[in-house]
Amino acid sequence: MSTAPRAVAATPLPRPSSRANRFRRRQGWVVGVALLLGVLVFWRYSQIPAFGPFEIRGIVAGTMTLALLAMAQTVIVISGGIDLSVGAMMVLSNCIAARLMLDQDLGPVVLIALGVVAVAMLLSGLIGLVAVVSGVPDIVVTLAASFILAGLALVVLEGPGGGTHPRFQELMVGGFDQPLPSLLWLAGVLLLVWVPFKRSRLGIATYAVGSDRAAAFLSGVRVGRTRVVAYVLAGFFSGMAGVVTTAFTGSGEPRASIGATATLTSVAAVVLGGVALMGGSGTLLGPVLAAFCLSLIPPLMLGLGWDPNYAEVARGIIIIVVVMIGGLVQVPRRSR
Amino acid sequence: MPAHLLQTTAVAKAFGPVVALRAVDLSVAPGEVHALLGANGAGKSTLVKILTGVLRNDGGTVAVNGEPVVLASPTESRAKGLAPVYQDPALIRDLTVERNLRLTGVDPALVRRELAEMDLDGLDLDEQVRDIPLPFLRMLDLARALAFDPQLLLLDEITAALPPDLSERVFAITRRMKQRNRSVLFISHRLAEVREHCDMCTVLRDGRNVASFHPGEGGEAQIVAAMLGEAGAAVRDVARERGAAGDRTGDAPRLVVRDLLIDRQDAGVSFEVQAGEVLGMAALEGQGQDRLFEILSGNVRAAGGEILVDGRPLRARHPYDAIRRGVVLVPSNRLMALLPQRPIRENIAIPLFNRLRRWGPINMGRERRQVQEAVTRLSIDTRAAAQARRLSGGNQQKLTIGRWLAAGFRTLLLFDPTRGIDVGTKHQIYDLIRELADGGAAILLFTSELREIALVCDRAAVLHNGAIVAEMPPTASESDLLTAAHGLEVTAV
Repeated sequence: MSTAPRAVAATPLPRPSSRANRFRRRQGWVVGVALLLGVLVFWRYSQIPAFGPFEIRGIVAGTMTLALLAMAQTVIVISGGIDLSVGAMMVLSNCIAARLMLDQDLGPVVLIALGVVAVAMLLSGLIGLVAVVSGVPDIVVTLAASFILAGLALVVLEGPGGGTHPRFQELMVGGFDQPLPSLLWLAGVLLLVWVPFKRSRLGIATYAVGSDRAAAFLSGVRVGRTRVVAYVLAGFFSGMAGVVTTAFTGSGEPRASIGATATLTSVAAVVLGGVALMGGSGTLLGPVLAAFCLSLIPPLMLGLGWDPNYAEVARGIIIIVVVMIGGLVQVPRRSR
Repeated sequence: MPAHLLQTTAVAKAFGPVVALRAVDLSVAPGEVHALLGANGAGKSTLVKILTGVLRNDGGTVAVNGEPVVLASPTESRAKGLAPVYQDPALIRDLTVERNLRLTGVDPALVRRELAEMDLDGLDLDEQVRDIPLPFLRMLDLARALAFDPQLLLLDEITAALPPDLSERVFAITRRMKQRNRSVLFISHRLAEVREHCDMCTVLRDGRNVASFHPGEGGEAQIVAAMLGEAGAAVRDVARERGAAGDRTGDAPRLVVRDLLIDRQDAGVSFEVQAGEVLGMAALEGQGQDRLFEILSGNVRAAGGEILVDGRPLRARHPYDAIRRGVVLVPSNRLMALLPQRPIRENIAIPLFNRLRRWGPINMGRERRQVQEAVTRLSIDTRAAAQARRLSGGNQQKLTIGRWLAAGFRTLLLFDPTRGIDVGTKHQIYDLIRELADGGAAILLFTSELREIALVCDRAAVLHNGAIVAEMPPTASESDLLTAAHGLEVTAV
């Protein structure tokens, strides 16, 4: 029996990837979407004679709801699921808020807003719990939940109605030509909620669960708990979206179709924002920027003198083209 | 101080009807490097998963330092001082290494220190896991396990993916563990490593521990004998009473593989299969056999080399191309090949549609006749015909073969076709394989059960590290096959 002499050839260490390469891989998509947004904003800017605070406020405040819903969807998608109930959750929050806030003073209105967000977190956490405990795929559980939530919204508010305090509206979405509050809210949510979460162990666990559940389990991650937490966080964002809608429109609107459309648009923003639907990668900033891109399209078409009814067609084309280009640019050599 | 750092008593585990562990008694003393050995499917990895809290044992007890423990999760197991390096990398590909470490609650500084001791401090922990080559991922897994300062380190085939110089660093670690009176449970198919670096070894067979001894004493022969047991010897006589199997015609070989690179670094695989011949392929796990079969069936493209079918090169871009040239695959994962929710009839007819390739509606009468032929020939139990997933494993396997029977083929690739099938059905499948070969088919059979080589094959080829290292007659003893499969030279008998 011969034992071959051991080859002593040293295996070379892998060459670390360059900074530029790393940046391209990790932030490339967000930069790309930001550039697209820049182009669209500039285009819009060149379309109208006076592009001032009024216009900016219109864009930002009008997009806030979608941006928040995109955040909710992103969190769930990163954790490896998909949430078809974010839109209905927003509609329900909107209806509860509008009904309770009607004819109240500012103090109670703010408390109600906090309460509504808390209720949304609770409900969303419950949905997540059902999905985790039952083992039924997220898509089924959240689809069923979306019907329940939409029904509840009709119970809370039979038809369009309710109201809120005008000061509260200013506080959330700014007055007539004041873009600052809505910008601050968005930036605040990103910086004060998302960034700490992403850096926490829980945040890393969320990415881990979305990337590879088995490996995450082996790493000692409590997979079920992490997924429920992701739902709670998504509930926070969609509850916020409902409150913002109340402030923006000054009323409640229980129509189920609003929720359904909003859900699908949130998925579109997630895809356009560079979050892999397979889970495990992406940031919150990408979908937020994508949400702005998507909501700039109708006014742009109006400015061009096109029928804004084709806006949906344009959105669809943009999503396909962007995702295609992104796929060509970003997908690395076939690994493994 | 208790005599045993780790002691398992009658540990058992079953997955549904499949029993992985019947009763395993294993004792690891402090300061001992203990090898856990066994053929594929003997239950080694299952035991590791029980010891590290991934799976719960159905029966038996585990004691650490003399105290019985319940290991309900990976975290709990680590807290008891058991740190594993699993067979597959347990790092999450989408995260950077550093984030992976924080996920497990490991201080990256500790891991850096461990890496520095292994002379690997050049590794950048800020790199995404997907960008790091496999051998270094294994070393990172090891460094992470060491950062827990474990009393017992469990290494499940860590050296399988490592080049020699990195393996050497692993053994430096095991020596260091020993000096500090810590222990290592070491799983490897490389017997030379076991002999050289382990103090004790326990051999598992069919879910039981069958022997424990000092691996240096009896040498590899004793290890192999314990791994195979008497079963190997007993069944041999049944083997081949058929003569010098089917007189081969002087035709060109049906399937020729030349310098096929399974992986870019490999030496290349070369072999031939004649019409009417069954070529058996033996290999340890992870020697490239899975990929070789995928390449041959057109599912994956080779890194280089050439495949000739009936003398003409096959450059398949898709399984469709291979199937059209008559090369068909029966994969080991039966449910992957079948449409589990659909009836037997459709499962058999699927490749048929492809072959008929006509426009318009399918000729149902003809389809039914061909399907019925296949079912009868294979004696598939059709009581559960409505959904393929409700068939037994054996019947499912017959179905995967049966659909190619109906469609027609010339070269059959069988990947471990009897895995998890009861003995009776196994023999039906052996008979079928012989029958097909006698009917003129060329068959390449990979098997993890070495005795199948003697039972059904005309020739055996041994694959090791992406290359054929030996060709043997089917009468070659199992220990010779196993020795060759370990990449060792077979001494002439």
